[in-house]
Amino acid sequence: MTKIFTQNDVLRYLYKETSVEENIEIEKTLLFDNQLRDFYTDMQDVIDELSKLEIKAPDRIVENILEYSRSKHIHFI
Amino acid sequence: MAKYKVNDSTLVSQYIKGNEGAFEELMNRHKNRVFMAINLVVKDRYLAEDLMQETFIKAINTMKSGRYNEEGKFLPWIVRIGHNLAIDHFRRAKRYPTVIMEDGSSVFNTLKFSEAPVEELQIKKETHKKLKSLIQELPDAQKQVLIMRSYMEMSFKDIAEATGVSINTALGRMRYALINLRKMLGQNNVAYDQNFYPE
Repeated sequence: MTKIFTQNDVLRYLYKETSVEENIEIEKTLLFDNQLRDFYTDMQDVIDELSKLEIKAPDRIVENILEYSRSKHIHFI
Repeated sequence: MAKYKVNDSTLVSQYIKGNEGAFEELMNRHKNRVFMAINLVVKDRYLAEDLMQETFIKAINTMKSGRYNEEGKFLPWIVRIGHNLAIDHFRRAKRYPTVIMEDGSSVFNTLKFSEAPVEELQIKKETHKKLKSLIQELPDAQKQVLIMRSYMEMSFKDIAEATGVSINTALGRMRYALINLRKMLGQNNVAYDQNFYPE
């Protein structure tokens, strides 16, 4: 029996959270299901844009934390 | 395929045994995600920096004192510490970070742009600026899932566990977040939309 895929399934597919078997079935579905394919294309575009944004933790804070960790280091004799 | 040769659990074990390099590796893997998670709640860069430091110090003390409970994954654990500290901060200050719209720039003011040819840079800057602003307009539940999945690399299963909802609810929130963002991008005539959807 052919499984019916939802938009949530396509979302999992876009984020690579589907199994190899599911991937094959979803890719087949996207070939003939126009609505699901449109959804896939639209979401892919937004996800691509989101992936170009990045946030960076300040180096100064990272160094403070590492320094704190080193100060707590227990030296065994 | 595993993302790293040595997983987080092994690094935590090595750190507890005294390997400082293992902690440095954990920091490098997760510092940006933890910072993003805290920023998402407090919407203030400088406060987020303080709370990030407090988060890792708490995590260090827990691990060094042998109280670390290896039941879950390291990242969701430390993100939860950061999230709780942020909430505690607002409780102490007797105010909650519910609706702080403004222009939204404070939350993402440390976002950086990827390398791009000079002629494309301005368009990218405009698009990204708009996108950052639009993310702030999403309902909190949708924004939370979007940030967790897009920038903290948590799976929908991890997100569901961390936020106390079902996987389908987490997926639904993400779906609406993306649909809303796309609609808003279209309404704002952001450049990418015209490129991908010619009239």
